[in-house]
Amino acid sequence: MRNRLKILRAERDWSQGDLAERLEVSRQSVNAIETGKYDPSLPLAFRIADLFGLPIEEIFLRD
Amino acid sequence: MADDAAMPRNRAPLLWGLAFMVAMFGTGIFARTVGLNGFWSMAVMLPPMLLLIPLIRSAERGGNLAGCNSPALSRYNRRGLVWAFGYVAALFFAISVNDWLKPDGPLLWLIAVLPALPILYYVWALYRYLIEETDEYLKMRYVGDALFGLGLLLIVSTVWGFLESFKVVPHVESWIVVPVWAIGLGLSQIRRRISGS
Repeated sequence: MRNRLKILRAERDWSQGDLAERLEVSRQSVNAIETGKYDPSLPLAFRIADLFGLPIEEIFLRD
Repeated sequence: MADDAAMPRNRAPLLWGLAFMVAMFGTGIFARTVGLNGFWSMAVMLPPMLLLIPLIRSAERGGNLAGCNSPALSRYNRRGLVWAFGYVAALFFAISVNDWLKPDGPLLWLIAVLPALPILYYVWALYRYLIEETDEYLKMRYVGDALFGLGLLLIVSTVWGFLESFKVVPHVESWIVVPVWAIGLGLSQIRRRISGS
């Protein structure tokens, strides 16, 4: 699954560490999601969507 | 925005780990070469065990640098130190009592089971880590490493078991399962490090 996390983060000038802190996860988690190595669970995907104020499908895209 | 692509690589835990392994094996070979038994064979193993403290500390620092530490992981590491020292102390005590008192009956049972207790604590610490870890990615990664260790254990013990049945290799005590599993866990972590995942 592809995602726009890196772009959304860049728009807000957040580092991976900043995003990780806001999501209460490790920086490795953010890195793994951004690079497509890990697809987050539905609860975490909702937390990400809430943080960016966007629907999930505007952040995570089908391959 | 900070450059996140470059995750800092910290080799200190690997070096401390190597130092620990070399010290443990070196001391074991030394004890065997000079013919140390019982109490003294355990006493000489205590100094190399102290290397576990900088090993765990450097692993935590490395985890912080790489952004893959969590409060649950820190607790797990501390529990790891407790079980490792507890295990050596229990084994030390059990061998010493066995050497001096030559017990039998219930006392022998008690002495024999004593070194297993810290390992049971370790199994509990593993369980607690998986319960306490709130970072789903770190948890998934650990479960993957644990399954790799389990796979290695199943392969090694099955192959060894048949070799033993056909009298090709000597008998191995069953307490070896935890060290073999832990080696698999460590190998999986090294594999992840090397592959950059």
